[in-house]
Amino acid sequence: MRQKPPRASEPTTAGKLPVVITSLLLLCGLLAGCGAKADGAPGGKIELQFSWWGNADRAEVTNEAVELFERRNPGIEVQTSFSSYNSYIQKLATQAAGGNAPDVMQLDYRQISQYASAGLLLDLDDRPSISTGEVTSAMLRTGQANGEQYAIPMGRTSQVMVYDSARWQRAGVPEPEFGWTWRDWSRAMRQLGEATDRTGATDPGWSEDWFEVWLRGRGKSLYTDRGGLNYDAADLARFWRTTNELSQRGAVSPARQTTQIDGSAANMPFGRGNALSGFTWDSAVGGFQALIGDSLRLAPLPVGPDGTPGQYFKPSMLVGVSADSPHPEAASKLVDFLINDPRAGEILGVSRGLPVNRTIREKITPSLTGLDERIAEFQESLDGELLAPPSAPPQGDLALQTAFQRDYDHVGFELQSPRKTAEQFLTNARSELQR
Amino acid sequence: MSAPHPRPDADSAAAESAAGRNRPRRREGAAWVFLSPWLLGAAVLTLTPMLVSLYLSFTEYDLFTAPKWVGLDNYVHMFTSDPRYWRSAVNTLLYVLVAVPLQLALALAVALALNSIGRGKGFYRSAFYAPSLLGASMSIALVWRALFNDGGTVDDLLSTFGIDMGGWVNQPGWALLVVALLTIWQFGAPMVIFLAGLQQVPHELYEAAEVDGAGRVRRFLSVTLPMLSPVLFFNLVLQTIQAFQVFTPAFTVSGGRGGPADSTLFYTLYLYDRGFTASHMGYAAAMAWVLLVVIGIVTALLFRSSRSWVFYNDKG
Repeated sequence: MRQKPPRASEPTTAGKLPVVITSLLLLCGLLAGCGAKADGAPGGKIELQFSWWGNADRAEVTNEAVELFERRNPGIEVQTSFSSYNSYIQKLATQAAGGNAPDVMQLDYRQISQYASAGLLLDLDDRPSISTGEVTSAMLRTGQANGEQYAIPMGRTSQVMVYDSARWQRAGVPEPEFGWTWRDWSRAMRQLGEATDRTGATDPGWSEDWFEVWLRGRGKSLYTDRGGLNYDAADLARFWRTTNELSQRGAVSPARQTTQIDGSAANMPFGRGNALSGFTWDSAVGGFQALIGDSLRLAPLPVGPDGTPGQYFKPSMLVGVSADSPHPEAASKLVDFLINDPRAGEILGVSRGLPVNRTIREKITPSLTGLDERIAEFQESLDGELLAPPSAPPQGDLALQTAFQRDYDHVGFELQSPRKTAEQFLTNARSELQR
Repeated sequence: MSAPHPRPDADSAAAESAAGRNRPRRREGAAWVFLSPWLLGAAVLTLTPMLVSLYLSFTEYDLFTAPKWVGLDNYVHMFTSDPRYWRSAVNTLLYVLVAVPLQLALALAVALALNSIGRGKGFYRSAFYAPSLLGASMSIALVWRALFNDGGTVDDLLSTFGIDMGGWVNQPGWALLVVALLTIWQFGAPMVIFLAGLQQVPHELYEAAEVDGAGRVRRFLSVTLPMLSPVLFFNLVLQTIQAFQVFTPAFTVSGGRGGPADSTLFYTLYLYDRGFTASHMGYAAAMAWVLLVVIGIVTALLFRSSRSWVFYNDKG
């Protein structure tokens, strides 16, 4: 039997008319697609666009809060939309590039300087409808660029070490407490590696986040306030040499486990059960709780040799208003409502991290249970102990984060010395920050 | 910047338009009407973006501020001071050299086997074709990652034979091979085309060869291969073009970074990283154009070489 490859059927004379009609319809569709946008909401209402990233749980409480806002402000209608973090970041960038940024947008710490310097955000300083009296000035500064307030933090998070306390105890290693140094940490890792068939921790050398904590403990920082680098190749080489030596000795995870880290708890050596602890952000502890279970405990990150704490309170996310918004006043009202309204605070709970508004935070903390409660306690224990957060990272930082992880691979697989790799990273970083 | 896949009858359009010159004009008008939606689509959705991207490749553009003209800077930076760029180019070339020949060899071997069985050909053909349908998807790449991961199925299987490798996707020396294997496994499309080609080989030739005392190998080398060479050439060009643009499997298997230690950082992956992670859209556009030119050169070289090994049976 001969097989012929399938071919598209050729239209016969009888079949022509539908094709013509279809193609004309297609043409109309193409042209209509470029048509005007619907303008304004029905009944002369002001219509606001509000977008954020998050999951279904966050969407539920956000929509509930937004409905309350609409009931209180009958003249304003809010259209909300949300998606996952990665697609949100790309979508927002594309919208902003096309001049279609939503009126009110949730922003990441790393986006602030880029969006502000591109003139996409409204200066919130001269907006009387937004009050920031309940937010600490250190926290507020995270939403500033060039001395202007372009965004307001919505929740706060901090670095945290999660560990499996049952196994630590069995290995006879003392549990960490505030004020332990990186040297203490290294010792604990070596003990855990020797006493158990696992490694002590996920190797922290893969992430710029943990390098930053280490660096701040030594009185330096990733960036100067002007967006230049505030450390040198020797610092980075030292950090990488330390972590890599631990990795080679089996005290922290080996390179072939570290290289699989992709941000999800399930692909962290600690999440996979190959290591007995790991660093993360306290807003992401839930993922580990699900994998490790009840013996999961939270501890602060190690401090520098002279006791300087490297970790800090960071905004889990911020909210800003588009500079192009036709309704800046209504948009500001919504921002103020999300940050300061007590009822909204109750509805939103800790869906965006612990609220930055002091009064609301104190009000909802007693009602928290389970992991939320432990995270709140953890943050409370750090209150007043930490140094001010760094100002928002410069524009090139997003690319440097990925480069950091890629470069550490070369150290971990012993393809290059920590020193040479650090120098390469710095060269790349300088050109990235200039461009 | 993926081009629509050329189909085997793509060049027949040129022949038809040549023939159209001595046809009545009325018929030609109808053709234009039918073509208009596609022409409009091509102009608006393909041609314009291509020209814009060419312009952008000479600028520094971060999506937020207006593109800044920098002349050839992007191209210069690429070739002189971006080690990762070269790494991604070398990776891609390696991958093309490994994956394409192996995939075509496997496709041909399976096509030959299928061609010689009588019963159930349809079933087997579908069964072997299935991976190609699934292959472009994220889900299969995720399965692949799980198979070859530390403690994954392949790892367990090898351990039972006392080979302890600890996963392939997380070792710089092996990860590229895992991605290549995924591509090789999707040999369905070239296989179906080979099969069609095999069925076009006139039977008399085999009979004549047999009379002349040619064995199986001889018959394959002297009859099948030459008769199949146009099909082989077609597959080779198509698969090479596709292999240069490999993205999904590497993106998924390496968790989106092209690791471990940049061993699966393919050209397109790095392009995506420059554009969407680092917001260097101008640089990414420049990379895309270099890729287009390279693919063009490679394809031209293949066509040039085809004169000496592809045999068109025009007199048949």
